[in-house]
Amino acid sequence: MLDNVIKDIVEIKSSGELLKAVEGLKNDGYRYATMICLKKDDGHELIYIFDKDNKLKNLRYFVKPGEKPKSVSGIYLCALLIENEYQDLFGLTFDGLAIDYKGHLYLTPNSPKAPLA
Amino acid sequence: MTTVIPFGPQHPVLPEPVSLKLELDNDVVVGALPSLGYVHRGLEKFIDTKDYNQTTYICERICGICSALHGITYTKAVEKLFDVEVPERAEYIRVIVGELNRVHSHLLWLGLFADGFGFESLFYECWKYREPVLDVLERICGNRVIHSISRVGGVSKDLTKEQIDMILKMLDTVESQVKDLEKVFVNNYTVKKRTVGLATMSKQLAYEAGTVGPTLRGSGVSSDLRESADWDIYRDLGFKPVVEKDGDCYSRTLVRVKELYESIKIIRNAISKLPNGDIATPIKGFPTGEAIMRTEQPRGEVVYYVKGNGTKNLERLKIRTPTFANIPSLLLTLPGVKLADVPIVVLTIDPCISCTER
Repeated sequence: MLDNVIKDIVEIKSSGELLKAVEGLKNDGYRYATMICLKKDDGHELIYIFDKDNKLKNLRYFVKPGEKPKSVSGIYLCALLIENEYQDLFGLTFDGLAIDYKGHLYLTPNSPKAPLA
Repeated sequence: MTTVIPFGPQHPVLPEPVSLKLELDNDVVVGALPSLGYVHRGLEKFIDTKDYNQTTYICERICGICSALHGITYTKAVEKLFDVEVPERAEYIRVIVGELNRVHSHLLWLGLFADGFGFESLFYECWKYREPVLDVLERICGNRVIHSISRVGGVSKDLTKEQIDMILKMLDTVESQVKDLEKVFVNNYTVKKRTVGLATMSKQLAYEAGTVGPTLRGSGVSSDLRESADWDIYRDLGFKPVVEKDGDCYSRTLVRVKELYESIKIIRNAISKLPNGDIATPIKGFPTGEAIMRTEQPRGEVVYYVKGNGTKNLERLKIRTPTFANIPSLLLTLPGVKLADVPIVVLTIDPCISCTER
């Protein structure tokens, strides 16, 4: 059995490094595919997924409790939907979102708060 | 001075509820803001209560149009966690059902699209031609909508000689009917008048907007996951991606029309090469680790992320559907479009909102 089958993943240490890496991937012709959010005991883990010629490149970034991760929607506009989704479902707050639905992309004011958190 | 008007959530061209806030200068769109949340079902949370096998049934119910490919993608993702080799016959059956899924989905879309610009008789024809495809899927899988063919380790149903003959006979009929439809979609004055040069998206813009599927290939980008190593069986089936260069609504339509022929070819090749043997590999234990699986659905790339922790339940399932990736392109293509053309532009991304919101 494999322990981990996600290949080509780069660990990112800071939000500044994250934006730099994402910009670099855009300059290299990568398409923004999506982002995965995982709840961890002491924060959240974000996996950014990019595609070029049907091959994936992934960035892994750990969000500490209380930290507002930087939005990459200023680099890839299409990132705004998934970042808004995680504001709804995980209660994260992305800093610098191109369009901010303020936790109400899917959920109404009466919905459960951050149901996946 | 601009005016903001709602487009949707209930609109004659929208089979599912989605809303756009359109900012208009006279009758020209200058801004668009999508509003979602009308059919969010929380399925990624719901799987907390299901084991990894039961989750297959949940994934198949994300969408009533590309149900089979949701199930196939999920099961292939979990198979990566088990590092299991699926029998070749099962992989071929998955391809056959997946491509039948694409044929019926594209015919459904062509009908809806024709309906979108008031070409009712063309709508009727497309949906009439789709019926035999659904009949065949029902005979193979036992259901018209939720095809339920893929299981972790293989497929749940084998193909009999009679079913194979039935598929081949149906394909001959559908192929000749698609040729009739193609003449209209390619040459008809009304179709061209409503679609040529409308909402043009350059190759660069389409790529940067994260678009996928026919929306991306209609802008000249040759990107189709049937070419990827993740599901390499397509390489033996003579698959070639369909690409159109102009990036307008007409190009996106042509991609889907031509992809019908490609799917028919793939199914015929898969049937001619269908190997004998088992249709499933027994699976033991529980999934561990994390994996990403992508396939090419009718609307484009779907991404499944699965994470197992050695128990019967998955720790995390994340699904990024093709329409979710194509919605941002509306923000970029709608400005400059006349209000009367908005339904056409929205339809050309082939929106599936149940998929998008899950």
